[in-house]
Amino acid sequence: MSPPPRLACRDAPVIHFDNVTKVYTNQNRPALDHVSVDVDKGEFVFLVGPSGSGKSTFLRLVLKEERPNSGAIHVAGKDLSRLSNFKVPHLRRRIGCVFQDFRLLPNKNVYENVAFALEVIGKPRRFIRKVVPEVIELVGLEGKAHRMPDELSGGEQQRVAMARAFVNRPMILLADEPTGNIDPATSIGIMKVLDRINRTGTTVLMATHDAAIVDSMRKRVVELEDGKIVRDQSRGVYGQAY
Amino acid sequence: MRANFIFSEVWIGLRRNLTMTIAVIVTVAVGMALLGIGLMINSQVSSMTSYWTDKVELSVFLCKKDDVFPSCKNKPPLTDEQKAALKQTIGGMPEVERVDFEDQAQAYKNFQAQQGNSLLLSVVQPDDLPESFRVKLKDPNNATAVTESITGQAGVSNIVNQREILDTYFGFLGKLRNMALGVAILMVFAATLLIGNTVRLSAYNRRRETGIMRLVGASNIYIQLPFVMEGVIAGLIGGVFAAVLLIVTKILLFEGIQTYMAIPLGWNTVAGVITFTMAVGVVICVLASFVTLRRYLRV
Repeated sequence: MSPPPRLACRDAPVIHFDNVTKVYTNQNRPALDHVSVDVDKGEFVFLVGPSGSGKSTFLRLVLKEERPNSGAIHVAGKDLSRLSNFKVPHLRRRIGCVFQDFRLLPNKNVYENVAFALEVIGKPRRFIRKVVPEVIELVGLEGKAHRMPDELSGGEQQRVAMARAFVNRPMILLADEPTGNIDPATSIGIMKVLDRINRTGTTVLMATHDAAIVDSMRKRVVELEDGKIVRDQSRGVYGQAY
Repeated sequence: MRANFIFSEVWIGLRRNLTMTIAVIVTVAVGMALLGIGLMINSQVSSMTSYWTDKVELSVFLCKKDDVFPSCKNKPPLTDEQKAALKQTIGGMPEVERVDFEDQAQAYKNFQAQQGNSLLLSVVQPDDLPESFRVKLKDPNNATAVTESITGQAGVSNIVNQREILDTYFGFLGKLRNMALGVAILMVFAATLLIGNTVRLSAYNRRRETGIMRLVGASNIYIQLPFVMEGVIAGLIGGVFAAVLLIVTKILLFEGIQTYMAIPLGWNTVAGVITFTMAVGVVICVLASFVTLRRYLRV
């Protein structure tokens, strides 16, 4: 007896770029040049490359903050070119985001910062009270829920940002140089949290310059240069020559 | 949708831009009050016009003894037969509905009623007042033909179309109304710009929050509603002040001149005007907020 056919949705990549080109207006050189890449559910992918190589553009395209000039993008099973503006917020609820500059609200404490992400998508208060402490614990900030952001170290602030990105259990977590403002020792802690999030089944896509981190994690590495993919290695390292 | 979240955001926004909010409230209040006053004058004029239109008459004054009117110079007053003949002539015109004769005694009575106890009354004797025909027209707009044909008649001193007196008065009210509406339009324009600016400041102040809201997938209405609500609340407060101004206007101005108006301005008209101006104020605020948000809050 032949094995039952696997469900198509299980096979479908979480992020699918097909021949995507993005040229910003007033620029001759494309930011992304015929990029095709698939990221599967639960993968951990480093996006590396020098500044201006197209890493941020890639992330912005996933969020539909930008539209490609040509090519097709599918995220979480949705064809972004067919996704109406009205439905973009629903796409973004399935994607968590972490940035180099944390982007916390300075007048809200840790708990409120994390809860804010749920409040503004209209989650009931009972649900918020239940899940926010769980996520604060997951990122290792238990006991600091009532601190204000300026009372925390950079690493701790980034943990708050990760808690906020993950609190709605997104399918994908995008991290744009999350360790860019953090010293190497603290960065290891951040990477452990990202790894923990990845282990829950969330796909993590992290743009970074940090060679030491990429080398130590031994995850899939996609390298961009001048908007083109020049390398796509599973269990890769930062530099090509090693 | 969580109402308390929206309202706390609105409250923070209004408090942060307190001076701008006050400016919006004042402009909306003054603009809406002027709009309301214009509407109140308008309703007064139109109700009075329809009231007076079927009451206005032509007054055809007859020469009295030694009259100084040029048309009466050196002519004796009409005899009773001549008056009857003239009445017949006027009554026979197709435009005329009715003709009544007012003798000097009747004229003096009416004069007394008009003047009350004024100084003029004490020096005027019944003999000083002219006799007249009160001519009621079928259509008050066709006065000219009748006037022209009566003017030449012997013994007629002059003709007064009451409508012309009313027209001067209504013309004055009309100008007042146009002025009020003109200033109201300017104020509405200023209010629109101010609201736009307030929303822009507010959007700038809250760019962190809105940026995060966008990222975590808050729907557009959730992001925009606090800004629009700020406009609405400022507009409503302005509308309340405008309502107070309109009520004061009604009590001080319209009740003061009510004695001269056959139909006083009713409170239900005032209530209607207040409701309308408030609605206009809120709609303007909402539109101004939305238009500004489109420009400054990319979603």
